[in-house]
Amino acid sequence: MNDFSDIENELRALRPRPPSPALLESVTRELDGLQTPVAREDTILRPDRFRPGWLSLGLGLAAAAALFLLARIDFPVAPRVPPALAGTTPKPLPAAQLLPAQFIPAGATRVVYGRQDEGLVFPGGSTSPVRRVRSRGRETLQWHNPGTGASLRVSYPSEEVQFIPVAGQ
Amino acid sequence: MKDREEVMDNVATHENWKTCFAALAPGLVLFARQWVRSGADAEDIVQEAFVRFWRQNRDVANRGLLYATVRTVALDLIRKDSRRARREAEAYSDIVQTVEPQFGGDDETQRLLVGAINRLPHEQREVLVMKIWNDLTFLEIGEGLGISQNTAASRYRYALVALRKDLMPQ
Repeated sequence: MNDFSDIENELRALRPRPPSPALLESVTRELDGLQTPVAREDTILRPDRFRPGWLSLGLGLAAAAALFLLARIDFPVAPRVPPALAGTTPKPLPAAQLLPAQFIPAGATRVVYGRQDEGLVFPGGSTSPVRRVRSRGRETLQWHNPGTGASLRVSYPSEEVQFIPVAGQ
Repeated sequence: MKDREEVMDNVATHENWKTCFAALAPGLVLFARQWVRSGADAEDIVQEAFVRFWRQNRDVANRGLLYATVRTVALDLIRKDSRRARREAEAYSDIVQTVEPQFGGDDETQRLLVGAINRLPHEQREVLVMKIWNDLTFLEIGEGLGISQNTAASRYRYALVALRKDLMPQ
């Protein structure tokens, strides 16, 4: 750029006119506001904001009381489930509507694995003899939950004593 | 020049933005004046651009971005006002010389020089303004105008050649 140093010097000799003072004032207004932000009226927390407003407080309490009373009134409510008709068998609930813990009986078995004839006896001062037969076995009860597919089985030993009347010859 | 560099080194704080603005404002207004007819409009542009730039950057380390902001604000202003846009479109033409930088000094040589500057193509004139009266490097000029620094240097050279040719005695 040495070839143009003469004209560059001439150009630099031209000085731009300074901007008006109003420009500096305008920028100062905006940037000084940035530096020390002036609190707007709606951002100032004044002490009177913390004083209780009696009118507002009274209205609030009245509204709360009305709400409480409404909550306490026992409105008659129509029964949602129609009464079951007498003599009708309740429909079995579909499997999907059963509760998970609802089991229905699925079966009952009784297995006798021993029977013993204990002979003739006269129970209770009876004058007619009866034959006492003692049976021993195992009873099993089963429940099934269609909703979950679970099954429950209870098995226990059982003993049964039968008195069979004996016909006299 | 050295004083200006010292100013630029020391202005990158919020507290002395006024120093920064005082140093840059004449060149910025001159730069903005290329897009508008009146000095008041140019000052409005500079005000909006400088405030926007300072709020976002808080220093002038990136001067290319500052001038790009001025340019953006100026072009936005032109786009907003269609009448102004038409007027400025006419001002861009090299025939109608309504846009001219404001300079001090009234001697004949300087008036001739100012006239020659006004006859430069717009893209050469804006590079000249950024280089001569704003002390931007070609890299910063490129950043501000969205061109490469080589393009900026070329435009500057073309501007000087054109000025010399214009001022050469017939």
